[in-house]
Amino acid sequence: MPSWQDFEPFIVTGIAAGAVYAVSGVGMVVLYRTTGVLNLAFGAIGALGALICWSLINTVHAPDWLSYLVCIAVGGLVTLLYGMVIGPALAARDPLVKATATIGLALILLGAMSWIWSNNANARSLTLTSDTWTFRLGSVLVNWTQIIALIFAVVVAVGTGIFLRKTKLGTVMRALANDREISATLGVPVRRVEAAAWLGSGLISGVAGLILADQVALDATTLTFLVISALAATVIGRLRSLTLTFFGGIVIGLVDALGNPITSIAPYKDMTPFILAVAALLFLSRRGGAAARARRVA
Amino acid sequence: MADPGTTLQGRLASVLPRPHLDRHERGHVVAAVAVLVVSLLVLPSVLSLYWVDSLIQVAVYSVVALGLGLLVGRVGMFSLGQVAILAIGSWTAARLDYATTLPFPVILLIAGGVAGVFGVLVGLPALRLSGLDLALITLMLAGAVTIVLQNTNFPNGGHGFTGYTSSPFGNPPIRRPSIASTDPAYLRYAVIVALLMFLLVLWHLRSKPGRAWATIRQSEAAAMASGVNITLYKIWAFALASFITGVIGAVLAASATQLYITPFQTANSIELMAVVLMGGVFTVWGALIAALLLELLPSIFDIWNLSPFLLLILFGVGVIQVLSTAPTGIAGQLPKDLARLGRAIASLAARAGGGRNAAGPTPAGGPGPAIAVPEQDPVGTAP
Repeated sequence: MPSWQDFEPFIVTGIAAGAVYAVSGVGMVVLYRTTGVLNLAFGAIGALGALICWSLINTVHAPDWLSYLVCIAVGGLVTLLYGMVIGPALAARDPLVKATATIGLALILLGAMSWIWSNNANARSLTLTSDTWTFRLGSVLVNWTQIIALIFAVVVAVGTGIFLRKTKLGTVMRALANDREISATLGVPVRRVEAAAWLGSGLISGVAGLILADQVALDATTLTFLVISALAATVIGRLRSLTLTFFGGIVIGLVDALGNPITSIAPYKDMTPFILAVAALLFLSRRGGAAARARRVA
Repeated sequence: MADPGTTLQGRLASVLPRPHLDRHERGHVVAAVAVLVVSLLVLPSVLSLYWVDSLIQVAVYSVVALGLGLLVGRVGMFSLGQVAILAIGSWTAARLDYATTLPFPVILLIAGGVAGVFGVLVGLPALRLSGLDLALITLMLAGAVTIVLQNTNFPNGGHGFTGYTSSPFGNPPIRRPSIASTDPAYLRYAVIVALLMFLLVLWHLRSKPGRAWATIRQSEAAAMASGVNITLYKIWAFALASFITGVIGAVLAASATQLYITPFQTANSIELMAVVLMGGVFTVWGALIAALLLELLPSIFDIWNLSPFLLLILFGVGVIQVLSTAPTGIAGQLPKDLARLGRAIASLAARAGGGRNAAGPTPAGGPGPAIAVPEQDPVGTAP
C-alpha cells in the first residue's frame, strides 16, 4: 500500500478534474431541466471550441485571452444553433429521442474536427496562461487553472441554483420544464427562454472544453467521450439536483485520481464513473418511487 | 387472453401471426431469397478479396444491427453498449479457439451463450430504469468494457485459455471451420450463420414474444393490464439480442484470424446506434441497410479517396434527420419514396401523352401542358 505522500498530489489533480466533470454535469443538468434535452454532444462542443482556440493561438497568433473568449463563444453559438434549428422539431418527443439526436450532433462535430485537425494530432496541446501561476500547498505544487476550475464549478453550481430560484428568467425556465404547453398558454416566450438555456449551457461547455483540453488532452475523440464521466455525475444527481451533480463530479474525479498510486487498480481507475453511476442508479431506483415520479414531472 | 395485437398501429401489423403470407410479405420473401442467392452463389466467386472481406463484415454487423434494432424498434430500449457485448462474444470465441478443439458451431453457441448471460446482467437493472437511464448505463458499460480490453492485452493471443504472446505477429491465427478456410467460403459461412440469426429473430417476432414486445413498446401499462409478463419479455429481448450478437462475434473473431481492439471502442457503439436508426428499426431489412452503411460504405469511400471522417458527419446528419422527420429510417422511407417517384413519373408520362394529343389548339406550341405539377401528394394513403 502506498503511503499518504503518494496520494497528496493526486488529491489536487483529482479535485481539479472532478471540478470540470462537475461543471460539465451542471451544464448538462441545467439544459435538461429546462428543455428536456440531455446534451450528449457537450464534450464535442467543448472540444471544437478548444481546437479553434488552439488554431487561433498557434496559426493566427491571436492574443491568448481573445482565443479563450472565442472558445467559450463557439461553445455557446454551436449549442444555441442546434437548439434553435433542431430543438423545436423534437420538443414534443421523449427525452430519450432528444438525447439520441444530440449523438448526431456529436458525430457531426467529431467527424468535422477529426477531418480539419487531422495531421500530427499527438503534437497538439493547449496550455492556459494560468498554468504558469503556481503556488505550494504543503508539498504539492498547485496551479491556478486547477483553482479556477474548482471556483468556476462552485460558482456555476451555486449561481445556477440561485438563478433558477430567484430570477424571473429562472422561474420561467422551471415553469417550462414543468409543462411546456401550459407555460406557452400563459404567455411564456418559449423559444426565447429555451434559447437562453441553450446559450447558457453552451457557454459552460466552452469553458469546460477549455479547461479539459488543458488538464486532460487536446484531442477531439478524447474530449468528446469525456462526456461519459460528466454523465456519471448527472446520473448521481438524478438529472435534477445541481448539488448532487456537483459533488458527484468531484467524487468521480477524486476517486479516479486516487487510483493512480495503487498499481493494481491504476489501469482500471477510469472505470470509476461507470461503477459510481451504476451504484447510484441502483441505490436511488431502489429507494425509487418519489424520486422517479419527480423526475417524470420534470 | 385477448389478442393485444388487434389494438396496435398498422406498422406493427407485420408482427402478428397470419395463416398465409399476403402479397406484401411474399415480396419480402422473394427479395430475401434474391439477396441470399446473390450473396451465397454469385458474390463470393466474382468479387476480389477486398470486397469479400468487406462483405464478411457486412454479414457480421447486419446481425449486430439486428440485435440493436430489436431492442430499439420492438421493445423501445436504447442500448449504447452493443459493441461491448460483441467484444465479449468475440473474446470468448477467440479464447475457446486457442484453448480447445471444439467444433466451430459449438464455439458459436458458447460465445452466444456467454454474451447472452452478460446481456441479461445488463438487462436486470434495465427493468427498474427509465429509457434514458438505461441508455446512459449502457453507454458507460461500453466505456468500461473498452477500458478492460485496453488493460488486459486484448485479445491475449496465444495458446490455452490465458496464453499470451507479446509479439503481435506471434499469435497463432484464430481457427476457422474446416469447410470454410478460404475467404470466399468463409463469406458463405458467415452469410448462413447470419441467416440463421435472422430466422431466429423473425420466428420470435412472429410468435408470442413478438406480440408481447409490441404491446410493451406501445404502452407498458396496457401490456401489464393484458397480462403480459413485462419483466420476462424485457429480459428475453436483452438475452436474444445479446445471444445473436455473441454468436456473430465468434464469426467476427475468426474472420480476420486476429482480433484487435479497434472495432470495440465506445465510439463504435455510438456509430452503430446511428446506422441502426438510419437503416430503420421497424423492419429487419433495416439491419442489412445499417450493416451496408457501417461496413461497405467505408470501403467505397476508401476507393474514392474520400475522408472516413466524412462518414461520421454523414451518420450524424442521418441520425438527426431520421429522428426529426423519418422515424422509419431508410428501410421504411425508400420504398415510399420510390413509389412516390414511380407515381410522379407515371403521371408525367400520362400528362406528356395527353399533352401531345391536345397540342393542336395550343397556339404557341409550347410544352405548357407537359410540365407536370403533381396535383396532390398521395404518400401515406398507399399501403
